[in-house]
Amino acid sequence: MRVQLFATCLGDLFFPEAVADAELLLEKAECDVVFPRVQTCCGQPAYNAGHRSAARRVARTFERAFARDAPVVVPSGSCATMLSRHVPDLLGCEPWDVWELSAFLGVHGGALPQPNSGRTVAYHDSCHMLRELGISDPPRRLLVRSGAEVRDLPRPDLCCGFGGTFSIRQPEVSTAMADDKLSGAAEVDALVSADPGCLMHLRARAARTGGARVVHLATALARGVDAR
Amino acid sequence: MSTHAEFREVARDVLRDEHAQNALATGTARLREGRLRAWASADDIEALRERGRAIRTATIRDLDRHLDTFAAAVTARGGVIHRTSTAAEAAEAVVGICRTAGARLVGKSKSMATEEIRLNQALEAAGLEVVETDLGEYLMQMRGEHPQHIVVPAIRLTRDDAAEALGVAPDMEELMRTARQRLHEVFRTADVAVTGANFAVAETGSICLVTNEGNADLLTALPRMHVVVLGMERLVPTLAELAPLLRLLASSATGERLTTYTTLITGPRRTGEIDGPEELHVVVIDNGRSALRDTRYAEMLNCIRCGACLNVCPVYRKTGGQAYSDIYSGPMGAVLVPLLSRLERSHDLPHASSLCGACTEACPVGIPLPELLLDLRRDLVERGVASRVERIAFTVWSYAWSFTVGYRLTTTLARLGRRLAPLVGPGRVWSRGRELPTFARRRFRDRR
Repeated sequence: MRVQLFATCLGDLFFPEAVADAELLLEKAECDVVFPRVQTCCGQPAYNAGHRSAARRVARTFERAFARDAPVVVPSGSCATMLSRHVPDLLGCEPWDVWELSAFLGVHGGALPQPNSGRTVAYHDSCHMLRELGISDPPRRLLVRSGAEVRDLPRPDLCCGFGGTFSIRQPEVSTAMADDKLSGAAEVDALVSADPGCLMHLRARAARTGGARVVHLATALARGVDAR
Repeated sequence: MSTHAEFREVARDVLRDEHAQNALATGTARLREGRLRAWASADDIEALRERGRAIRTATIRDLDRHLDTFAAAVTARGGVIHRTSTAAEAAEAVVGICRTAGARLVGKSKSMATEEIRLNQALEAAGLEVVETDLGEYLMQMRGEHPQHIVVPAIRLTRDDAAEALGVAPDMEELMRTARQRLHEVFRTADVAVTGANFAVAETGSICLVTNEGNADLLTALPRMHVVVLGMERLVPTLAELAPLLRLLASSATGERLTTYTTLITGPRRTGEIDGPEELHVVVIDNGRSALRDTRYAEMLNCIRCGACLNVCPVYRKTGGQAYSDIYSGPMGAVLVPLLSRLERSHDLPHASSLCGACTEACPVGIPLPELLLDLRRDLVERGVASRVERIAFTVWSYAWSFTVGYRLTTTLARLGRRLAPLVGPGRVWSRGRELPTFARRRFRDRR
């Protein structure tokens, strides 16, 4: 099956290994992965901050880059939400067949490596993926299939505090929320997230406070939670 | 309505207060779990929510007609209706009623509508003594504070705080006895009872009050005059439609099947009745509500003030109510306060959310709070309230990222200039509590 990979801006710039891992997993699932080269960003940062025309301008790059004849796979819950829930309305265009990575692998994925045998992990639900796309089981099931023991966070319903510009407008509240999330993962080998936004924020806070190890789901599945 | 202090400033103080942090985490968790248990034990909860939403939507759509029916029913049963448009007018109307009655002491039952019109301040300015009779609200009044939560005003207080506010030993028995004594004195001696209304039934002209302390019942039984401050959107057309809303309110607010004291008051005391006020006045407040009906924000008028959105909000859980406004807080406050006041005066409230969506999931009548917040943020930009620097930044960014060449250029510059980032703007704010993320040496696109 031919699939189109959307790296997302955060993935492209800050977590290229995670995007490469996503590509690897898709290839293992016998997908023919294409990477449309003129992609940049889905426009979410501007959209969530209220800047609709700026968001529209950037979202048009997505429209130019991606065809509608093959699924679009996104290693980011919130970008997948933006693309499926907001961009078609914002641009007044036809929707795409957008899949968050774990949801896609849950349906189309084949055999997975088992790099996480003997490892305990906690999975952090990113809010838009959980509540707007309703994806909560697939990432957990994939982690179990990768050999990991998956433990529940004390309050899986709570946001990690990233929230795009929220992390800058309310930095103290934002980091306090991250601390709650990280302290809930103190006993596991890694906190796994399927969202580069949460990943960036939680990792940045953990780096400052010596908190839990935070890993992208694609990396956890492709190379294990210990991978660098 | 409220001019609220800087959200961030207030939030910072609350975050440093370990005592408040524990109280907020425990209090919100208890209320959330109560709701979840109540919802889980009602096998028709989704149908009930849908019914509640439909009733609220239909009522708001036809509000003028229901208001007329309600006013006629109240008048027919000997009550007096006062329609007001602004908060100040509403407060003046209540002050006027109290003055005419020659009142000195006003007893109050917890009401967010009276907070909204700043009634206590207005009554006190007119020389009247005002005492809150909901225990939590009374404690807040003793401390000179505004309610922190629309259902549980003293959510941030512990038993010790309560004892301190009352000036007694931190012993539960002692505390309750003292509070009871003082409040009973108010029930006995107040000249006027002021209450809000959880709902008002149009067909019968009834006021519906729910409390868990029974204070509203005592308060409305003894004083010779009862003044109801009614938000115009609190109406329910019929008693039959009230029932599902009461179930939704009780289960969502405190996890009960029905609130302990659920009372319907229809008209003043009639001949032969042994209690109830001689006069019943209903002051209907608009204060910006009717202007919302034909807008994108009309759904906010469906709110039944249960507080469920506060209890699940990860931001409210950290900041408590004070950061939002003196009145409404949490997600419903972040939407409602800017709508009822001016957007300019509460411009950081639409941004006081990570848009996680927990609120809309918990809302018994399914108000799409995150979407309303997003649209308020859009309004901030389109009406020029958002800062010029921010608007320019997003515009420049959007043009640059419209093309891969611009994307490459700006991100290469950002990578090269990363060492400067902690010194300026967003990078500086970010890096106070977090490490700055490192740009990969090669983007994903450059590796292929």
